[in-house]
Amino acid sequence: MNLPVWQELYESIGPDRFELISVAEDSQGEAAAGKWFDRAKPTFRCIVDPTHRISSLFGWVNVPSGAWIDEEGRIVRSNEGVFPDETTIKFGLGKVRLGNDAFAHATRDWIERGPESEFVWSAEELAAHLKPVDDDTLLAEPTFKLALHFESAGDSERALRHFDAAQHLAPDNWNYHRQGWTHKGTVYAALQVLKKSAYLRKNTDKNYYDPMELPGENHRRFTEPEWFWTPAVNGLKRLLRREPSAA
Amino acid sequence: MIVLTSESTSDIAQRSDDTDSLWVRVDQLKQATGWQLKPEGVCLGEICVPLFEPEREAWIADADDWVWFCYSAFADKIGQQHVRDGDVWSLGSVPEVRRMGLESGLAPDFEMTDRNGDTVRLSDLRGRKVVLFTWASW
Repeated sequence: MNLPVWQELYESIGPDRFELISVAEDSQGEAAAGKWFDRAKPTFRCIVDPTHRISSLFGWVNVPSGAWIDEEGRIVRSNEGVFPDETTIKFGLGKVRLGNDAFAHATRDWIERGPESEFVWSAEELAAHLKPVDDDTLLAEPTFKLALHFESAGDSERALRHFDAAQHLAPDNWNYHRQGWTHKGTVYAALQVLKKSAYLRKNTDKNYYDPMELPGENHRRFTEPEWFWTPAVNGLKRLLRREPSAA
Repeated sequence: MIVLTSESTSDIAQRSDDTDSLWVRVDQLKQATGWQLKPEGVCLGEICVPLFEPEREAWIADADDWVWFCYSAFADKIGQQHVRDGDVWSLGSVPEVRRMGLESGLAPDFEMTDRNGDTVRLSDLRGRKVVLFTWASW
């Protein structure tokens, strides 16, 4: 939760120069997100979005994600992993350091220089990022919404069934996965992130966050603690899987 | 019967003699789906989909003393995904709206209430730069 850092950035750039809108994608609504907003005492606009409407509209599949929108309402840039500064997240038994000041620096530059900013996407870059999605991904959206409906109605069995269906339809959508796993508890969700990350790291070239393509960004393919891939832990994992040593 | 869209959750009437399809009472159609029946067709904002005679006959029906529109058949025609569980129907995004958004490069408009109780409508912020970001507690 980098809300205090966002507040500093908002104040230092100047609230009169742009609108900053923060949206909490939390199915538990104010009960889950409210305390984080309260602690940060933000003066920018804060929205709680229990049905993940903003992520659906902008096609975002993970948090944090963000967009720059110009004075005419056009999308200038849209990225995953928009941490405003280095952020340390406690994750299971370890810590993960994500992000740095690359996105904040680029945001400041765009607000000050507008279309002259080197970080503004060209029409081609924009078209490449805002691409159409397939039918399964389109079907995943109402399926996830159905899961959220049953979760809020207290029907856990039907909620889990539809979370599972949405996750299968849109395997790359971390929002559907993490929100759905959180229904079974935050520890379960954290373990599932590790498990899915390990699978993707081993079998695919996918990222947890796609790179922002900003100079100097701290891009990590997955949000796993640093110790997770040390030789000793790798050896232990092979042992548990009864695989031969790599040496 | 409950209909979920990205904008709303509507508890609306259900046609008693056909529960396999999503029949929406015409007077509740806009509230539940955003679409309206007009002389030129079925319309959502500036988008109008004409209804031809066989469809008009099959999809508009009298029952239970009301006029009903078969929305699930219409959704199939326009390629809008939908899924149901019991008496809850969930509708996906409207492909034409998505396509227009992608082609225009305009940010999708939304209207939501912020934590201060104020309405935030993106299109009201024209003339100012906007930085929008999501996060979550999980």
